[in-house]
Amino acid sequence: MTKSGNLIHRPVKRRTVLRGIAAAGGFAAAAPYIGYSHAAGEDINIGVLLPFTGSQGAYGPDMRKAADITTKKINDAGGILGGRKFKLFFEDDESSPTAGLAATKKLLEINKCVSVIGIWGSPIAMAIKPVLVGANTCMMVSGAANAITEGDTKGLVFRYQAKATNWGSGMAQAMVSRKYKTISILAQQNAFVIPMIDPAKKVFEKAGVKVLDTVIYNPDQPSYRAEVQRIFGANPAPDAVMCLGLLTDFVSIVRETTRMDAKSKIMALSIMADAEGQFLKAVGPEAAEGIEHFQPSPPLSSPSYKKFVKLMGADENAIFLFASNTHDQICTLAMAMEKAKSTESLVFTKEIRAVCNPPGELVNDVVEALGKIRAGTKINFDGAGSSCDFDAQGDQINRSYAVFKIVGGKQVLQDVIKEPEVAL
Amino acid sequence: MVSYLVTILSLVAIISILGLALNLQWGLCGMVNFGIAGFFALGAYTAALVDLAGAGTLVATVAAAAVCGIACALVALVSLRLSDEYLAILTLGFGEVVRLVVLNEEWLTHGSLGLPGIPRPFWGLIPEEQYEYWFLGMLGGVILLLFLALEKLLRSPFGRAIRAVREDDVVAATLGKDVVKLRVKVFALGGVIIGIAGAFHSFYMTYIDPSQFSAILTAYVFMAVIAGGRASNSGLLLGSVGLMAVIEGTRFLKDIFNIFDATQLSAIRLILIGLGLILLLIFRPQGCFAEYRLKIKKPEKEPRKASVQTETRTT
Repeated sequence: MTKSGNLIHRPVKRRTVLRGIAAAGGFAAAAPYIGYSHAAGEDINIGVLLPFTGSQGAYGPDMRKAADITTKKINDAGGILGGRKFKLFFEDDESSPTAGLAATKKLLEINKCVSVIGIWGSPIAMAIKPVLVGANTCMMVSGAANAITEGDTKGLVFRYQAKATNWGSGMAQAMVSRKYKTISILAQQNAFVIPMIDPAKKVFEKAGVKVLDTVIYNPDQPSYRAEVQRIFGANPAPDAVMCLGLLTDFVSIVRETTRMDAKSKIMALSIMADAEGQFLKAVGPEAAEGIEHFQPSPPLSSPSYKKFVKLMGADENAIFLFASNTHDQICTLAMAMEKAKSTESLVFTKEIRAVCNPPGELVNDVVEALGKIRAGTKINFDGAGSSCDFDAQGDQINRSYAVFKIVGGKQVLQDVIKEPEVAL
Repeated sequence: MVSYLVTILSLVAIISILGLALNLQWGLCGMVNFGIAGFFALGAYTAALVDLAGAGTLVATVAAAAVCGIACALVALVSLRLSDEYLAILTLGFGEVVRLVVLNEEWLTHGSLGLPGIPRPFWGLIPEEQYEYWFLGMLGGVILLLFLALEKLLRSPFGRAIRAVREDDVVAATLGKDVVKLRVKVFALGGVIIGIAGAFHSFYMTYIDPSQFSAILTAYVFMAVIAGGRASNSGLLLGSVGLMAVIEGTRFLKDIFNIFDATQLSAIRLILIGLGLILLLIFRPQGCFAEYRLKIKKPEKEPRKASVQTETRTT
């Protein structure tokens, strides 16, 4: 009694009250989340992990937009599974595997996402794969490194992109078809570029094209003068140079080649020499003239891709290398869940091939596809980013590739190559 | 929710171990180490390679600690005659060398493809769904041990000697302290701790690649030490928890405010973290906690003989 009486007169009491108020404030601030997952019981939460900052930050925003508009389209048409809506949770991976892992945990634990999609960088995909597979959660990636779909994935990992090794052989074939006699390779030390080199060399060897030199440079160098000098300044200079890397290094490389007036032709990747028009903006049309670039591309002339470009509200010649695949990821989720009548990853992933692969009625609109699935029709979804067909390991098959040339400051389509000609 | 917190705490724990090492090297002995990310990578790769070779996680951790300790000792020896700024540049250079070696020596490190499938300690013995908790427990145990050991060291004659070296190495040398030996010892000891952090990072991630060891990591560790209060180990723990709370907590901003889209908020988030640090440095440059100092008690209170004795014994 006396003890508690003393307590009243102690300053500690005031602090306790303050602590209490602070705790109450904390709870009040936390209330939105605490109530959140319950209130969203009807919604199906989807995590979208994208790079918004860091070295890959340029590739995230378009993918986010594609995810948003595709989700809106599905939700406006009444959602799936008898009126349930998709709810997207975006997280920034900061172009870093460690930050990507923390973000993935948040998507899984706090937002209760039933699937995580987007996932641009290969190292990030590799770092979060054990977590997602361990949590029996479907994972849809945009990264090219072969290792992502290798090993035991419990059938949960799907790649909306061509495998890196296929990029290499495809690009080499495009170069062979241009009748170059000698070629040099200038590549960035990078998880998705390096696996392209060996398959490319094999194609060159088979076709009798001589590879003069291969130089691999480190990312984020202040200058690429030494590397450019060695490749383009060689005597004799190669007929053409195969450039593999990213936008920022390619801009420096092209500035160097312009400065030294190099004669060799260049074929690069589209993420370097197009990158949503950023390359032309950086070097100007004169320096870019004649550069060719290659990439697994959306089927540009297909009705499904055209429909997607319209949905994005972009110019009809716009090329969305990654956003179109994000659209397909959301569509696939909706269709597979509807078919499986479940949002459990281990259940609905088994139906992904059933709605995406032939045989079946070819459908390119997700709302129409959902209607047909409900009616019990067997469908074969034709995506915006690809024909959206998967092999047993979750890799896309039957992809198309495109070669562009920069002419007068414009991207001009040269060839469209189909996968069977690419895969060795 | 709990599992997410466990993840964040595990990341905090690894940063805290790095922070303890930096606090020893820079906080106590004044040896700036801008190559933390490089030494950390060295530890992580050593542990991963030894572990993947089938030697077990304990051997891997010891190997990582040893390799990092030796590397740090060598760097300290090489920089014998270099003062503060030059040591900073040297360590920065060493960190970059490690990064480039790891990135390019494909036969050993798989280059940019990284090393997947690193075995974890006690994996298989603990039920998979509880593993994260156990791992956090292990990290907690390591931190506790390191913390107690470092606190002991801080209060020992050795601790006072290295603080003397930090304040003025000429004075310390004049008083008969072997400055070079002290510096090499401290740097190597810091290296051992960084190696342990690297090993745990490998085990935690199970996949490592060069992009996980970027310079921003060094910045985070420095932030944790500065925010907590240089040379204060308990301050450092608070600093790293606070830092991670801000970094991860800001992720939730976009779940509350709908005025910005995800792209804008990602940028705003990083700006806020920077702003917070600037404010901290303006208003509390000494950090949250002050460094431990010996005090002679005021005369009106009972003087504590023990501490006075220690004081007289070492000076």
